[in-house]
Amino acid sequence: MPVQPSTTSHSQLLADVRRGMIPAHIYNDAELFSLERERVFGRSWIFLAHESEVPQPGDYVVRRVLDDSFIVARDEGGTVRAMFNMCLHRGMQVCRAEVGNASHFRCPYHGWSYRNDGRLTGLPFHREAYGGEDGFRRGEQTLLPAPALDSYNGLIFVSLNPTAPPLREYLGDFAFYLDFYTKQSPAGIELAGPQRWRIKANWKIGAENFAGDSYHTPQTHTSVVEIGLFREPTASKRKEGALYWAQRGGGTTYKLPPGTFESRLRYVGYPDVMIERMRTSWSEAQRRMITEDGFMISAASLFPNLSLVHNWPKVAAGSDSAGADTVLPFISLRQWQPISAGETEVLSWFAVDAAAPAEFKKLSYKAYLMCFGSTGMFEQDDVENWVSITSTAAGVMARRLLLNNRMGLLHNNKPVTPPLAHFAGPGTAHVGYGEYNQRAMLALWADCLERPLAPAARTELGAP
Amino acid sequence: MTARLLGSTRRAGSALPFSDERHLQAHQFLVDEAYLLDGQDYPTWLSLLTEDIRYLVPVRVTTARGAGFDTAPGMAHFDEDKYSLGLRVARFATEHAWTEDPPSRLRHYVTNVRCFATVRVDELVVESAVLLFRSRGDVRESALVSAGREDLLRRDPTGAAESAGHWMLARRTVAVDESVLRMQNLAIFL
Repeated sequence: MPVQPSTTSHSQLLADVRRGMIPAHIYNDAELFSLERERVFGRSWIFLAHESEVPQPGDYVVRRVLDDSFIVARDEGGTVRAMFNMCLHRGMQVCRAEVGNASHFRCPYHGWSYRNDGRLTGLPFHREAYGGEDGFRRGEQTLLPAPALDSYNGLIFVSLNPTAPPLREYLGDFAFYLDFYTKQSPAGIELAGPQRWRIKANWKIGAENFAGDSYHTPQTHTSVVEIGLFREPTASKRKEGALYWAQRGGGTTYKLPPGTFESRLRYVGYPDVMIERMRTSWSEAQRRMITEDGFMISAASLFPNLSLVHNWPKVAAGSDSAGADTVLPFISLRQWQPISAGETEVLSWFAVDAAAPAEFKKLSYKAYLMCFGSTGMFEQDDVENWVSITSTAAGVMARRLLLNNRMGLLHNNKPVTPPLAHFAGPGTAHVGYGEYNQRAMLALWADCLERPLAPAARTELGAP
Repeated sequence: MTARLLGSTRRAGSALPFSDERHLQAHQFLVDEAYLLDGQDYPTWLSLLTEDIRYLVPVRVTTARGAGFDTAPGMAHFDEDKYSLGLRVARFATEHAWTEDPPSRLRHYVTNVRCFATVRVDELVVESAVLLFRSRGDVRESALVSAGREDLLRRDPTGAAESAGHWMLARRTVAVDESVLRMQNLAIFL
């Protein structure tokens, strides 16, 4: 049942969020979750899979947008589609595996079958039961395609909104930053995973954290510095990074020691052969963010629920000949898949430049496992916090408390630190701690919640 | 050092009789280990792992019967060596490993133990089932993980290992029985 916002309470709530005050119950509120389902997840572009997960004809993975299951399959001609995983006849899931290779999907209920491009090819007793084409036009039917599908750097997104703007337009200037994670060479990235697990936390908390919470790092992640896993997130160092926001997403960075494009990428552990490809794969402005500004991307989020992270931990015991720790970078993509107001399924992938040397891929995977994912030493402590927030947000008192999300803003709305005048990337960037990006994220959320969606067209199967 | 894979140490024959001393020692090893893991005595646990330990927990996936695989290629929950396990244990010794402070209440139920001789007298293959109960805080729902394990035990040549028969864990592969874990993390070991 769609929930209509009661005008006063919701307009007040959205106004509060927009001025940087968060009614705490937004992190565990069933009524708001119904509205998010319809107006955030029914409207936005949602990440489903990466093309490298379905490299061969017939390869498929099954992924969801909340409760809607989609088969992401590469057909015999190489085209990747996302098809609603529901038999056109009685609604059975036509694919009950989550990954595999198939030329056809056959419904186990009555045997209707579909090619891996979605076309209905098998309909038992079509003539006897339906009177053939006169009763049911088999030849025209396909599994329902995702209302909108598009990709960027191999990242496949769908939107449940058939009139969604093109993906590239939706990403906007955030695409500039997405390239650092997903286009280190013309070969693009390849994904492994995902690890999947469920946490009793609201989906927004992770998305906001990755978008811009550099402030939590020195506190939450003290232990990983203490054990020598990652040297960067000391309190003094983390605040030297820039926070950027660019239309649909934003992220955090670390300030690099003085140096060149090469030496700075070597500092985070990239081998020269990869650095050389980054030089040609990234634009002049993208290179300048490293060379002139000296910032290296770390965590980021794309509205609403895709996050990325790039860190460079110490992957092995000992040190190199110069006595420096052997650090190596990794990239992770993660999706905060909402289950309910108080529960999220995390899908966490390891991503690596497809052209990277085999030894680099091996060590980068190891770096990922130590830091993020279901066993990651960073992620463990994050989730503990988020579960605690969500649990406390369910009560009456959380409806009376407005959390302060205004870090970086004075009472007169002037920034504590002015935006960087010279920053190679698009959008706005600030050095130091601030909740600029969390505010931007929740402002997009408020924009979605405020606007109802036009009802989408219905599809009638085989009707006269 | 290259970790020796299980395949290189094939099982010699069917499961040992439950009265065999090697079975009894292996069973005791697993039970003693369960108490160490329940009590989060990780430094002692680490001392029972060989230097070339490989601790692997693949990600299980749902696939069609006949697909020929049921784990996610190239991905695991844990894929550890002595260095990374050592770091994880060192982290719990800091005062800032929030995810286990307050600590979980843990109970590893170990059952279905069977033991196989190998062509090497100093190595045994041991299979077991483990059910982990984990409770955090006072009001949160508890969580369970069910898994099968295949271990390679190797006798400590120095005789220093303080375990039944001086056995040490050289390799463990854990097949968790869920594709999507219903637990906030695996900050614990199986």
